[in-house]
Amino acid sequence: MWLGLWLTIIGIAVGVLIGLNMPVVLPHAYAKYFSVAALAALDSVFGGLRAAMEEHFDNTIFITGFFSNALLAAGLAFVGERLGIDLYLAAVVAFGVRLFQNIAIIRRHLLKK
Amino acid sequence: MVLNKSTYLYITIFAVVVGSMLAMQFRTASSQDLPLPFDRVQELTIEKKQLEKDVTQLQKEVADLEAKLEEAMESHAGAAGALESELYKIKLYAGLLPLVGPGVEVTLDNTPGAELGYGENAGYIIRDEDLLKVLNDLRGAGAEAIAINGQRILATSQVRLAGNHINVNLTRLSPPYKIIAIGNPGALKSSLEIKGGLAEYLTEQGALVNVEAKEQIRVPAYDGSLRPEYARPTQK
Repeated sequence: MWLGLWLTIIGIAVGVLIGLNMPVVLPHAYAKYFSVAALAALDSVFGGLRAAMEEHFDNTIFITGFFSNALLAAGLAFVGERLGIDLYLAAVVAFGVRLFQNIAIIRRHLLKK
Repeated sequence: MVLNKSTYLYITIFAVVVGSMLAMQFRTASSQDLPLPFDRVQELTIEKKQLEKDVTQLQKEVADLEAKLEEAMESHAGAAGALESELYKIKLYAGLLPLVGPGVEVTLDNTPGAELGYGENAGYIIRDEDLLKVLNDLRGAGAEAIAINGQRILATSQVRLAGNHINVNLTRLSPPYKIIAIGNPGALKSSLEIKGGLAEYLTEQGALVNVEAKEQIRVPAYDGSLRPEYARPTQK
């Protein structure tokens, strides 16, 4: 259990190091979409961790969820900007709430023993 | 609780991906000095459009003003040309320009040795009145420019006896006096040599008079100073 959490945290840290050393810089125009996508992806990872703890983790669901959530969030932000509505807020709120819920559940699993 | 290794492997891999995404996002956000919010962009776009409109308007104005300036320059050049030609004409009349043209050359001289002798038969000495009479006759015959021994005769020139000399333009002249005048040579010559005229009279008196018509005469310009000290123009 703790191993999973640590692996996740270490993975994110390694990813941050890689990302900081990558020579690619995203164009500023895509930064907004990318930020929402990153939030969705983060939520997916914690969702996967939670599922693993609840022992109903499914690879296919995890991977498809990861990509579809990220793409949906970015797409929402894109469409929202075209329509003049801040639709990305919906993605931010939805994934933010889910992120907190997932982390809370993970915490309970860890503390329950 | 079963620790499925592939489960955590996948989660770790995707955690790495998420971490790199976050880092890239962080770098993108911090690489821009001021990440502008959308409405700000809109605002600036509207402002930019407005400014572009202003620029076109101002460019039009610039072209318009340039055309006006050109017009003004042209009329200014015309006015300057008119003033210059007027100035030239006035200088011409005032005697401030050297002139060339056909005319006559009149030479007057005392009887040889007259300065040394005394009494009745001493000979004739040319006086200021004689020169003035010659000038008068020449002007009457239409002389346009006159000079005596290189002194241009102006409207203000004086011809005065001063001791043994004659002053013209405050310059002391001595005989022989050479009077040059531009005008119709025939008319000028005949006005002096008319029967009973000035040339005959002076010759009778014993002076040496010679009137010669010339094709080309050069009359010098007045080179003294022109400074009205007392006269002031009045409003009409």
